[in-house]
Amino acid sequence: MAAPVMKTVRGWSDLALGVRSAVLRLPGLSQVRWSRYSPEYRDPQIDKEYYRKPLAEQTEEQKFELELRKTQLIKAAPATKTGSVFEDPLISKFTNMMMKGGNKVLARSLMTKTLEAVKRKQFEKYHAASPEERAAIERNPYTIFHQALKNCEPVIGLVPILKGGHFYQVPVPLSDRRRRFMAMKWMITECREKKPRRMLMPEKLSQELLEAFHNQGPVIRRKHDMHKMAEANRALAHYRWW
Amino acid sequence: MLKGMRRLISKVHKLDPGHVLHMGTQAPQSLAAHLDSQVSGQSPRAISRTSENDPAKHEEQHEGQHYSLPLQDMKTIFPHGLPPRFVMQMKTFNEACLMVRKPALELLHHLKNTNFDHPAVRYVLYGEKGTGKTLSLCHIIHFCAKQDWLILHIPDGHLWVKNCQDLLQSTYNKQRFDQPLEASVWLKNFKTANERFLSQIKIQEKYVWNKRESVEKGSLLGEVVEQGITRVRNATDAVGIVLKELKRQSSLGIFRLLVAVDGVNALWGRTTLKREDKSPIAPEELALIYNLRKMVKNDWHGGAIVLTLSQTGSLFKPRRACLPQELLGKEGFDALDPFIPILVSNYNPKEFESCIQYYLENSWLQHEKAHTEEGKKELLFLSNANPGQLERLCAYL
Repeated sequence: MAAPVMKTVRGWSDLALGVRSAVLRLPGLSQVRWSRYSPEYRDPQIDKEYYRKPLAEQTEEQKFELELRKTQLIKAAPATKTGSVFEDPLISKFTNMMMKGGNKVLARSLMTKTLEAVKRKQFEKYHAASPEERAAIERNPYTIFHQALKNCEPVIGLVPILKGGHFYQVPVPLSDRRRRFMAMKWMITECREKKPRRMLMPEKLSQELLEAFHNQGPVIRRKHDMHKMAEANRALAHYRWW
Repeated sequence: MLKGMRRLISKVHKLDPGHVLHMGTQAPQSLAAHLDSQVSGQSPRAISRTSENDPAKHEEQHEGQHYSLPLQDMKTIFPHGLPPRFVMQMKTFNEACLMVRKPALELLHHLKNTNFDHPAVRYVLYGEKGTGKTLSLCHIIHFCAKQDWLILHIPDGHLWVKNCQDLLQSTYNKQRFDQPLEASVWLKNFKTANERFLSQIKIQEKYVWNKRESVEKGSLLGEVVEQGITRVRNATDAVGIVLKELKRQSSLGIFRLLVAVDGVNALWGRTTLKREDKSPIAPEELALIYNLRKMVKNDWHGGAIVLTLSQTGSLFKPRRACLPQELLGKEGFDALDPFIPILVSNYNPKEFESCIQYYLENSWLQHEKAHTEEGKKELLFLSNANPGQLERLCAYL
């Protein structure tokens, strides 16, 4: 195994997307999540624009980066990351969360049908509305999706902490990725469990997304419940030690 | 050397400066398509639509352009027979627009020059899945409806050979089977499409339904259709009577008959229907199919027969099969021989650009990147200019 990599190489601080936090591998500490790649492997750069920039526009550091990538070992790009212009990391993550048993084809088709359903509903509203209201109606399913999930993100979360033999729900700040995860998880659980038997997932999901976009609906209510619980347990905030 | 450089630079400046970089990475054959789309993109955005809404006046200059059909007419001319995704698109956009394409133009040219004293010519539209066979058929039907022909439109032959819940033994012929539901539904739609003819055409023979009911010679065809719709048991026989009478009377010259069958390979394939003793039923044992086969034979004159092959609903045919010989089988091919085959293929670059333009005009492509050249190139690549695939892709973008 290679010796721990020292962070003295310049240019590491402005590595672009897809950087894993390079944890120092001390002997005696085993990784919980580990990969088969040894530390000197670098993440692949999928963005086509990065390689198309003419030499004149690149800064010193970017030129150094390019030169470095020619000699360094690079990991294989995952199959889900395409160089497509239509790719959206949030949609991919949501699709993965909806997937069951590795059936990505089904999950992706459900996602595309949901986006189509959202779009058709909005177009219906647009055609039924008067010219003054038309400017306010958003027809882009991607903006609706992003805005809806952003509206569902909780600001503060609860964590069960063991103290004196009892578990207390302690209010705790959440990281960005935890918040995004919770919004998506709540959305998917809500659509799976509270769906009428004959209704299909795309229809239910599109309904929930549109309600969340307007700050209404069961997912937003769950977020507000979480906030209220956190407010109620404000006194227990001292139990948190980080 | 300097003169050469200057010429090169002036050439580069003629094109859009932002695309200089892309030129170097493109293959030469896509370059022509790219330049084409650029030129059309820079000209005023009217290329995707034409104001010529009468199919009789569609010529080569309208190729690739969309013309709109009035929604009221759609309800009368097409009570059935439109592809479901097209119906959804009609509902979303509040308008029905069809693209004028080469196969349809060719067919229109043939139809305009038909000699009604010769036996009816059979035209067969064939092609890969999603290339636009059904919509080309709808274009032809619209033309014939405008020209006041009588339209005999069977929306999908495959619906009559599978998933039939109630199969009755035919009263007319003990060997054959009746399908009351399918027949009555078809009669209802036939009535909507051809209201005015039903009160003009008179039948030339007496038909007895049962001991108490019969229809006399000289009564209107509308009566037969009504009987079929109200008495569902006799619906299949009513369909048979309608077909027989229309075939006999089209030669007299009172009206022109267009027989349009979508999915005609169902007539000569296999069925998934079974008798009570679980033995399979051949298509000719179904009365509807038997009568339709007689209709598609070219032993009558005074009209035309336009047929479409379809693998999508077909039974026991491989997915890749799209040619007439593969889908019709020996029996079907011999029965339809001679016919005029018309290939319906994917969009050419001009049609593709026009389709994208149509979607942009209706603001259907909402994704920001779909408006860019990169997005269009990607759509072309992903759909391979297949109209069906492109429509499904643009639905969620």
